[in-house]
Amino acid sequence: MRDPPEGRADGGAVTPAVISPAQIVSGARIARRYLLKSAVFGRPPWNEGGDKDPLASHTVTTGLLAPLPRAVTGVVLDASPQILVIGNGGTEERFALTADASAWRGAKTDPAAIRAGDQAVVRRHNASREVADRIWANIGRVSGTIIERNRDTFLVDCGSRGQQALVMPHTATGKIQVRFPRLEPGYLIDIIGVRRDGYLEGLVPATYQPPYRADHVPAPPLINGHLPVSIQGSAVWHEPGGEPRGLTGLAYPAVDPHSDATTASPAPAGQASGCVSLPYLSIGSLLRVRNDCTEACRVLPVTGSAALATLFCDRSVTCGPSPRGRIADLTLASFVELGGELHEGCFNATIEIEG
Amino acid sequence: MLAAAREVQIPVLALLLLGACAAKLIRVLRARSVAMALGPTALFPLRLQRTVAKVMCAAEMSLGIALLGTAGRLGSGMVATAVRTGAVLLFVTAVGALIEVRQRRPDVGCGCFGDLSSTPVNARTIARAVLLALAAAATIGVPPVRLPPPGGALTLRLGLLGAEFLVIATLSPELSEALVRLGYSEPCELRIIPVERTLAALHASRTWRRHAPVLTGSHPVDMWRELCWRYLVYPGSYGGREVEVVFAVYLRTRRPHVRAAVVDAVTGEALPSPHTLPPPGPHLVARPLPPHAVGMWPTITRPATASQPASSALQPPSGPAQPGMQPGTPRLLPAPTVFDAPELPDFESALPDSLYKLLALSTSVTRELNTSAEAVANARLRGSLNSPQDVRPQGRTANPG
Repeated sequence: MRDPPEGRADGGAVTPAVISPAQIVSGARIARRYLLKSAVFGRPPWNEGGDKDPLASHTVTTGLLAPLPRAVTGVVLDASPQILVIGNGGTEERFALTADASAWRGAKTDPAAIRAGDQAVVRRHNASREVADRIWANIGRVSGTIIERNRDTFLVDCGSRGQQALVMPHTATGKIQVRFPRLEPGYLIDIIGVRRDGYLEGLVPATYQPPYRADHVPAPPLINGHLPVSIQGSAVWHEPGGEPRGLTGLAYPAVDPHSDATTASPAPAGQASGCVSLPYLSIGSLLRVRNDCTEACRVLPVTGSAALATLFCDRSVTCGPSPRGRIADLTLASFVELGGELHEGCFNATIEIEG
Repeated sequence: MLAAAREVQIPVLALLLLGACAAKLIRVLRARSVAMALGPTALFPLRLQRTVAKVMCAAEMSLGIALLGTAGRLGSGMVATAVRTGAVLLFVTAVGALIEVRQRRPDVGCGCFGDLSSTPVNARTIARAVLLALAAAATIGVPPVRLPPPGGALTLRLGLLGAEFLVIATLSPELSEALVRLGYSEPCELRIIPVERTLAALHASRTWRRHAPVLTGSHPVDMWRELCWRYLVYPGSYGGREVEVVFAVYLRTRRPHVRAAVVDAVTGEALPSPHTLPPPGPHLVARPLPPHAVGMWPTITRPATASQPASSALQPPSGPAQPGMQPGTPRLLPAPTVFDAPELPDFESALPDSLYKLLALSTSVTRELNTSAEAVANARLRGSLNSPQDVRPQGRTANPG
């Protein structure tokens, strides 16, 4: 005879039972969420018997996401004018370098400037999987709130990614200050540069600095009824940090803190819900993300929380101004896969929640 | 009539100026920063923006108070004329600033009424400023105002006052924003409902009572939220199998809708809900289920072929079908299945990076019978079936939303 579950109607008073955090974060549990939800509501029409989604540019055959074939991350094992060898764990992959290939290593450069030992992200060419189209070497990004400034060195609070050091060389300071006039503690900063040992050498502003302090984020416009099915805004990327390199997915700004207590970062002090209203989701939820500039579209899982993204009420101007607000913080591989240029920092995006 | 119209302008302008200052102050207090002021301050250099915002608010408040204070006999004459000329200058300056803002910062609202004025400056906003500048000009030279006795004169002034506010409201983009705030109801996708309340609502629901006999644990093993639904997963046992019962609770404060499904813990296959099963009969009570040949994950060494589902080995029995059940499917719980891609040796230790891979594992593939014991058990079951009643896994329903 089993013990009756707590809160049974015939068991007297309802005793709320709260899930333990250790149970929540199990990867296997998260992976089953889509399956369990489908058991309750059925699979969405786009995922029954193959890809019936006109927007999706990839094949969905098993309820899952097709592999993302175009982005490759790893360490440069060998670089020559014609061949680039990328290693990732125990595997290595060779890419031919054509005249069309371009590279970034602090600035746009020739692929020949790539060195063995660089941490690289490669996008394959459309025509051939063994030809490199774009290569970014040692690219990094610091995005967050300035905590401390000592001349050209900044300490930045990057939310769940901890505190990071940012060094701005004199040659880049002028260019950065055009977009970030307030380089003072309390204000937001978002800089792309070259990753060095223990710090980022900031070279390029990733966006325009919001005019408010990080603890004075404006409230989103009120919406009556239901939220729209698709939401437009800016999609950015983040460095892997603790994530494995090559992970496909996105950090979502509105991960439900009640359900995913251990995986969702608490909102920074004084933060409102950001300047865009996003529905609450959880780790493992599926989102369809479309790059409005390239029309590339992928279904990606939520792999983390991006509470810091709600602080930025900025726009992407990659292909015309997007609505304000960051709606997705993509992993490196997903950003590249969707046709984004890492050194530009963002692209205009549309997200839809896959029910 | 003209004199009455000119008199009415003084309280109208005073109320608008004081209201605008109050709205700006509320915004600044909420944000705890003067730098949050919007509108024409954006045209000034960074170091001047705070000062300009303070001066603007102070000018509105002092002019509003002064207009009221000099409307009667007190302060009439030169003082009243100076105050009203100041109001004209303020509104004329506002017209110029709004035109400039519209050209240089088309994405910025006028900020006239704080948070309510976030709509980018348009022709209506500029027309309103022009109207107010004309109204302020009309007040210059108006003699001291007295409250008229009840009757025609008072009605005329009240009518003019109402008409003017109507015109100003028509020209104000803030009105729609204010109405939205008055009748605002938060979308369920943004609603914050504590987990404890969800659990209490679930435990009080009929769906919970129907599935309670299946549950073996009192605590959910997983819980997450998507859009308007919170999902809770409980362990259970059903027909000798380990199952998971997943409840979906709509995020509403009162009497939320609750749905549920029973899923095989190993295969991930949806099973019939307990209350949809027919009452146990003599031929079903002691019937053993096919042996669970799947076992634990690491023991599987080869991917299964999906050419012939195990359930297809059973011939559908003849006879009338029960309501709600489709003929052609066996009156058994679905057969065990295995997953394609069973290479993961330790499922629980799977790291978040393999979420992608784990999602792939979530899709089940029906397998063939692959043990002799299983074939024998199913042959016995086939022989014992004498009823056409069949059971399908729980049907799918509408999508969440």
